[in-house]
Amino acid sequence: MELFKTKTHIDFVRQMPFMVAFSVIVIVLSLASMAVRGFNFSIDFEGGTVMEVQVPEAAGDVGEERIRDILQKLGQPDATIVRLGAPEDREFRISLRGSQEEDRDLTVTLLKGLNEALNTEVVAKSVESVGPRVGGELRRAGVTAIVLSWIGILCYVWFRFEWQYAPGAVLALVHDVCFTAGLFSIFGWEFDMNVLAALLVIIGYSMNDTIVIYDRIRETVSTRGTTELESVVNEAINATLSRTVLTSGLTQLVVVAILLVGGPVLRGFALALFIGILVGTYSSIYVASAVLIWLARRYGHPVPAPKPERRARPSRATS
Amino acid sequence: MSLRGRWILIAIVTVVMSYLSLPSFFSEEARTSHWWLRKDGMTLGLDLQGGIHWLLRVDSDAAIQRELEKILSSVTDSASEAKIELAGSDIKGDTLTLRGDIPGLRKLLDENVQSVDVDEQDGALVAKLKDRWKREAIDRGASTALEVLRKRVDQFGVREPLIVPQGHGRILVQMPGVKDPASARVLIQSTTFLEFKPVLDAAPSKELLEAKFPSGVPEDQQIVINTTRAGKESEALLVPKKAVLKGDMLEDARMEFDRRNRPIITFQWNSEGAKLFRDFTGANIGHRLAAIIDGKVITAPVIQSKIGRRGEITGDFTREEASNTAIQLRSGALPIPLVLEEERSVGPSLGADSIRDGVRASLLGAGLVFLFMAIYYSLTGMFANLALIVNVVILIGLMSATKATMTLPGIAGVVLTVGMAVDSNVIIYERIREELRNGKTARAAIQTGYARSFWTIFDAHVTALLSSIILVMIGRGPVQGFGVTLTIGLIASMFTALVVTRTLMDTIYGPHPERLRI
Repeated sequence: MELFKTKTHIDFVRQMPFMVAFSVIVIVLSLASMAVRGFNFSIDFEGGTVMEVQVPEAAGDVGEERIRDILQKLGQPDATIVRLGAPEDREFRISLRGSQEEDRDLTVTLLKGLNEALNTEVVAKSVESVGPRVGGELRRAGVTAIVLSWIGILCYVWFRFEWQYAPGAVLALVHDVCFTAGLFSIFGWEFDMNVLAALLVIIGYSMNDTIVIYDRIRETVSTRGTTELESVVNEAINATLSRTVLTSGLTQLVVVAILLVGGPVLRGFALALFIGILVGTYSSIYVASAVLIWLARRYGHPVPAPKPERRARPSRATS
Repeated sequence: MSLRGRWILIAIVTVVMSYLSLPSFFSEEARTSHWWLRKDGMTLGLDLQGGIHWLLRVDSDAAIQRELEKILSSVTDSASEAKIELAGSDIKGDTLTLRGDIPGLRKLLDENVQSVDVDEQDGALVAKLKDRWKREAIDRGASTALEVLRKRVDQFGVREPLIVPQGHGRILVQMPGVKDPASARVLIQSTTFLEFKPVLDAAPSKELLEAKFPSGVPEDQQIVINTTRAGKESEALLVPKKAVLKGDMLEDARMEFDRRNRPIITFQWNSEGAKLFRDFTGANIGHRLAAIIDGKVITAPVIQSKIGRRGEITGDFTREEASNTAIQLRSGALPIPLVLEEERSVGPSLGADSIRDGVRASLLGAGLVFLFMAIYYSLTGMFANLALIVNVVILIGLMSATKATMTLPGIAGVVLTVGMAVDSNVIIYERIREELRNGKTARAAIQTGYARSFWTIFDAHVTALLSSIILVMIGRGPVQGFGVTLTIGLIASMFTALVVTRTLMDTIYGPHPERLRI
């Protein structure tokens, strides 16, 4: 079976100015949202306490209101209480934003208070509590990680390709991270540690895509030279298009499976990946290649001598 | 490498990795009862098996203060020895203030204490701990706390706990299988300090006792309150500030029941403590002795006879209190309070839900990928699927062998690896198809396809590795586990894409290139 029976001849380069303009608009919106609205950080990054409790049947009919009242009496009027699952699950999530570093025993006090007020043993399915200091450190560590991976990739691409390739590769990654994180900011989706992990996976994934296309551009340049750089880039993107579509499609199959049946913990992670893989595929074609063309036009692109076909692993059977 | 050589390599890797990954699919009991199973499987993260995770920090202010107290006490001793006047002293924050014979004290400090910067202010000596010594005090506090925690957690009955220093002044504690976050708190209760002090005087209340000393309680004595269970003051006792015996000479302490089935704490001194205790009780028969834990009077009985190595404390406590106090007495005091910076606990049912969801999503995702590859690339697609299976086997095998921790995002990482590993095959296969379209023979197409794709795949993997290694370095807990899974998966994927599928193709299509179905 083949989805791409014949070679495609899409003029990607001509679309680039529009796409770049689109990207610039989205990035500006994203950055503005990040600056103005910020993120809906989970307690991982902001500190606070989240407990998921299950009230046993013996306690009778308990709703959010009842729990809110109890917490109010325990001195936590700002607690958010959300019912989880169906009413018969009798599960609630109690969140306290911001953090109470001074009160080390807060979670224990709250659980005991609930037990006493409901006259039963509440089951603590999960308790998470993060101090503000740790939250701040994690935020910094996250930013450091992302920037470090950009720098690392900049150096690697520079080393393996020509310098004209490196800025485009990294700009594409900056684009992907801003785009994905921007959507999280704009829509107020919760940003937790898993989403940060997803951003790093997106960097790796998008880089993967960019390398495949760059590699092909370099290969085509070595046979056709740089005089018709636009058509060389078009040819390279078209030649790798089936691979690009297949790979991102297959990876999305997995991501969608996680999104649909992977459970609540991984939902944000899968959502970020879903967006990031779409954007990453797009940016490798439009952003990374556009920057490369611009730099190569302005500063020139060395034409390597056509390389003989390299053999990865010599093998007796095929030679 | 020859085709035969590659087959041998693949066979060895697959067999070894299968053997290594096998234990992860069996229960703990099966692992110990079957001789052919290795004992070590993958460790499940706390998010999957349930348990408690703490990040603790040594209270640095307290650590510095404790250090200054030590300096003060040694200065006091040497000052009185050298007959240097020390009129007053005060510790506030990170400064120690000394008053009296300033030049003499200054000389004393300069000669004996290197850890402080000394200054003169308003006719007093002001000593501040140097930065390096502050750090050292905090680190020392952390390492002592680490030892105490290890002992306590051990006695709490936690299987395979993880207690490790985590950067400057921090301690990471992971206790798999511990369900109740409330009862685990006893482990980090700051300081359990047992002291025995003779009762010098007593009165029914603090006021009445204070009334006996119109000019105030003597400098070296203090008043402690004996309370009932309900927290009501039952008696005020006058005791010396200096204890006869302290808990650090204890050899053992445990909870037992007396004849009336009330919980009691029995203890046993080490030889030094036993001697002191024997001498003291022998000399003070008929007088009262107060047992004080953390500044609270537990009991203050009259000494009936000489007591040596063993003793018991009968107090008004519940079984749980007695047991917890015994644990703390046994393991020694936490010298410096710990701040709980991060707490995560997951109940076992939630963990089981997560495993189920994660595995279900992975099987679904991987199944879809397999199906697609088989349909899209027919026989050659099946080669890729075989390679993907080998990939997962290597991944689980390496994770088991290195005792890496599998977390919920890690499960997602396994299946993501499948998604990414398939990419290498897609790159190669699409290239082969392209070469075929360009009119190359099947044999040449395979050859060129692999040759042209090698460096692409290599570069793509290296850059992906870059970000996954960063994930391992900065991530915590589940996310770090995810990074580890991804890193190992990427390494495995290079091997399977470049060696396994290639070998399969060479074997099947090598002698019969006309059979190529792609």
